[in-house]
Amino acid sequence: MKLSLSWIKDYVSLPDDTDLKKLAYDLTMDTVEVEDVEYIGKRFENMVVGVIKEVNPHPDADKLRVCTVDIGDGEDKTIVCGGINLEAGMRVAVSVPGAVVRWHGEGEPVVIKKSKLRGVESYGMICASDEIGLGDLFPSSQEAEILDLSAFDVPAGTPIAEALGLDDVLLEIDNKSMTNRPDLWGHYGIAREIAALYKLPLKKFEPAQIDAPSDFKVEIIDTDRCPRYIGVEMEGVEVKPSPFEMQSRIWRVGMRPINALVDITNYVMLATGNPTHAFDADNIKDHIRVRRAEKNEKLLLLNGKDLELCEDDLVIADGEGAVALAGVMGGAKDSILPKTERVILEVANFESTGIRRTALRYDNRTEASSRYEKAVDPERCDQALALSIRYFKELYPGLKITGYCDKYEKKLQRAEIDVNLTWLAKRLGKDLTHDEIRSKLEILGFDVAIEGDSMHVIAPTWRSTGDISIKDDVMEEVARMYGYDNFEATSFNTSFDHAINQKDISLVRNIKEYLAIRCGMQEVYTYPWMNDVFVNAVIGDTKGVLRLSTPPAPDLSYLRSTLLPNLCEAVVKNERYFDDFSIFEEAQVFFDEDYTSPYDESEKLPKQRRNIAAAFATGTRKLNDLFREVKGVLEFMPRYTHMEGFTFRKETKPVWADNVVWQNIYVGDVKVGDMGLLDKKVSMECGIKNLSVMLFEIDTTLLKPLISRTNRFTHLAEYPETDYDISMLFDSSATWEEIKEVIVKKESGIIKNASFVDEYRGKQIPAGKKSVTIRLTIGSKEKTLTSEEIENAANSVMKQLNKRMGAELRAQ
Amino acid sequence: MKDKIEQILSEAKAKIMEATAESELQKVRSDFLGKQGALALLLKELPTVEVSLRPEMGKILNQAKAKVTELIEEKKTELKLKASEVSPDFDCTVPGTMPANGGLHPITQMCYDLNDAFRSMGFEVFQEDDITSELYAFDKLNFPPNHPARESMDTYWLEGHDSGATNEKLCLRPHLTGGSVRYMQTHKPPYRFVYPGRVYRNETTDAHHERAFFQYEALIVDKDITFTSGKVLIQSILSKVFGTEVPVRMRSGFFPFVEPGFEIDMQCQVCGGKGCSVCKHVGWIEVMPGGSPHPNVLRAAGLDPDEYTGFYVNIGLDRLVMMRYGVDDVRLFHSADLRFLSQFR
Repeated sequence: MKLSLSWIKDYVSLPDDTDLKKLAYDLTMDTVEVEDVEYIGKRFENMVVGVIKEVNPHPDADKLRVCTVDIGDGEDKTIVCGGINLEAGMRVAVSVPGAVVRWHGEGEPVVIKKSKLRGVESYGMICASDEIGLGDLFPSSQEAEILDLSAFDVPAGTPIAEALGLDDVLLEIDNKSMTNRPDLWGHYGIAREIAALYKLPLKKFEPAQIDAPSDFKVEIIDTDRCPRYIGVEMEGVEVKPSPFEMQSRIWRVGMRPINALVDITNYVMLATGNPTHAFDADNIKDHIRVRRAEKNEKLLLLNGKDLELCEDDLVIADGEGAVALAGVMGGAKDSILPKTERVILEVANFESTGIRRTALRYDNRTEASSRYEKAVDPERCDQALALSIRYFKELYPGLKITGYCDKYEKKLQRAEIDVNLTWLAKRLGKDLTHDEIRSKLEILGFDVAIEGDSMHVIAPTWRSTGDISIKDDVMEEVARMYGYDNFEATSFNTSFDHAINQKDISLVRNIKEYLAIRCGMQEVYTYPWMNDVFVNAVIGDTKGVLRLSTPPAPDLSYLRSTLLPNLCEAVVKNERYFDDFSIFEEAQVFFDEDYTSPYDESEKLPKQRRNIAAAFATGTRKLNDLFREVKGVLEFMPRYTHMEGFTFRKETKPVWADNVVWQNIYVGDVKVGDMGLLDKKVSMECGIKNLSVMLFEIDTTLLKPLISRTNRFTHLAEYPETDYDISMLFDSSATWEEIKEVIVKKESGIIKNASFVDEYRGKQIPAGKKSVTIRLTIGSKEKTLTSEEIENAANSVMKQLNKRMGAELRAQ
Repeated sequence: MKDKIEQILSEAKAKIMEATAESELQKVRSDFLGKQGALALLLKELPTVEVSLRPEMGKILNQAKAKVTELIEEKKTELKLKASEVSPDFDCTVPGTMPANGGLHPITQMCYDLNDAFRSMGFEVFQEDDITSELYAFDKLNFPPNHPARESMDTYWLEGHDSGATNEKLCLRPHLTGGSVRYMQTHKPPYRFVYPGRVYRNETTDAHHERAFFQYEALIVDKDITFTSGKVLIQSILSKVFGTEVPVRMRSGFFPFVEPGFEIDMQCQVCGGKGCSVCKHVGWIEVMPGGSPHPNVLRAAGLDPDEYTGFYVNIGLDRLVMMRYGVDDVRLFHSADLRFLSQFR
């Protein structure tokens, strides 16, 4: 919200030498966040009033004129201009070199320089209103119309800001920081706060003196939704422009001046924070009623929206039907019209949440609704009425008030709160004297009574619509008036009797650090929703997959039940730049099942897990190597992250996996995840062009962290152990698991280990066969083995492999 | 003869010293120790020496032989060690090769840094699920039924679960604070815990706005806590994370679940508080909201607000990370773009 400093000064006499930086700082620290302090005059630097002396045609351009302009520096300037309303004697806004303007009010700001236009030297620019940001204040009626300032009786050379009285400062306040302070939504409210902060006197509104016949009637049917409604019927008005200063103030804080009748209502709202509205009285049949809308009742709004209302909407109606959407917007038919001569002024109070619901329902939030929805107090109507009547009388000397009615059925109760002073001192961490506490609250309008250790506080009306309701609110008022920065910082003195040891939390971190730092993979984040393309390609069946009701985009509605579709998408994105990379993600996955909550019996939450998934993509390495890398990452993970080890089985093929290259990952008898090669067809549907992709995904909630590091120490071998490599030809379908099983069974006690070195198919190997190189570790606990004993042991392994699996020694 | 031996010995020594290659040593060996070598020739002269002196001369001669042999071997080793295996043109300025090239996401890194800082102060780390109910997203946090925040937060509701009672109405969590209530419900006070997690808002994205972003809550609840204690906590945590003293200020702010509420600003780390474009020339940067948990929130967690109070902060991790590295577009965090992510180690 923008606030004009000169307007604020109408109500609080801030000294002229007030340090605005400090004011902004103090408001920010104690009340609301001041985002910006803007000197409006700065927008008009290097712009002055010029008086046109001569207008001549341009020698080379039909649409341009060459003007001689007096800009007050004693030397007439030549300025080329395309304006259509140029006349000698006219006062215009001249941008001299250095001024910043927007051509035709559009595009990027441009700095004015001396230049030549079609061969004629031009000193500066004679501006249209929208070229210098004044389009809303001085709307032009046609294209290329120059801003005519002849009505401002100032000498040539007067700076524009001075000529138009725009030497003002705007405070821009972050609306979010004042949602809880309805009392601040207007210049008077901020003035009141400043008066309290700086202990300055605040001006009061003279109550309106209204002497009118009492047969004017207003009827409030729903008093819960409309606690107060003041109607004032007046004649002797007309649609005309409001005084320039009123227009200018409305414009300065970001609204658009329209005509005097509308401007008064907006001006009063901006001043007091209480919206007001004016109806054309001749169009109101019978008396005003405030009631709920009937189902499907029709109302055409001022902005042209044709609504079909519901029973939750509050409307202002006359004898024939709805004439306005209460607190939101007037109707097109009965508001101020060009021929309006009689008005009914509405100064009312509406309940906040109903206004909000209605405004949201029709996507029709307005200046009025955004104020009412903060919960304005009904007492404020008095200020709004006083100010309205003052301006109506000022602007329409012939005004006659023909009817007046103030229905105030639901009186506002001021909030009353008891505060224990010991409690207050404890929470503040500071003992303030009773006088200190009292003065801080009283200056904000609270009534304070202290007796012994207890304080009874009555909040002012403007803070009693929910803002101040419990003792903590009172504490906050005391604290902020004391100044948060003025409290000495005190430390905590809580003691805890246990050390932090969270194995589950540590395990996930260990795994992520293992993957990133040890395995050289990059962690990525993706969104919890999945793109339909990848859902279809990678998962296919969406049974059991949850969806968003209002997704970020129509094709992003599925919530992930697996991290793999998004990882595949990440592979596609990165394929443009990389041909060999590995990525992983740890995140939540969701399932449309279960619907219980570990925290609350009544709560129905879907099944949620935390998964870690990885994608290894390569266009440069062989599938064999890629597979073994992925398997290695998995096999060594438990060791480096302190959890129970994995075993691999082939039980259920993951839907996305190649027919052959996949495994299920187990911890004990529990399946915790899958690994495998992304199927070619799936890969193609994902849009992966040339990369082979291996994936794995693990449910981290099923992993079992070790209580402590349980590796046992084994004695070092006393006698040397020898590595002995054998290469044998096996059937191509033989698996390492089978081979190892044969060797381990055969173990005579001196075969300590058998490890896989490599396998080979191809040249020199008969079809249907593969060569496997196995490294045997041979050694004894009792003695150093002779080379004969070692060879015998190896030979016996080879015999067994031959006998059991038909393996043959590879021809040397 | 003795003199001769001495002379030969010193000649040999000199030659050995001069030698710069093994081939030269070979020559020294044959010149002095070979069959026709100087010492061998002397040996042949031994019979001409007086009998009584022969044993001594023989001994000296053998000693000399041994000495020369020893010197040659020594020199040989020396030469071997001296010899460089590489060409003198070896270029030491070539860059190193990258070890396995991976890393944690910069937000994960920041989160772990904070975890470490908080854990060192006795805080537990709490984690909780992304989908929550309206009951925990709003009701338990003192949002009245019609509070604007329920709508303005633009929550992502779940299809088929977007109406009905609040315990069944489900959404992606719009903030973490509901999870804090869960923690309090299932643990005994006093509490000290942090709660990192991703939250979701249904809004239009741009360089400063994301639909999914990271928050980091810290909550301490105990009997005698003043609201200024929080300032000390924040100051020490930020100082730990940024590695330097970070001045902090608290100012008035409003959030339904705290009372009183604060906006907590840290001194701009780019300009040191002097004012720059990063901090919009105010010297301070808003980093987190905070405050004392609202009595209704404590009640929802089963605590008596007259007995317990606390301090709560909610740190926007994205913004903190953006400031740490000067990242200017928040959307990069979810881009999974390795060109971006690989910059953070």
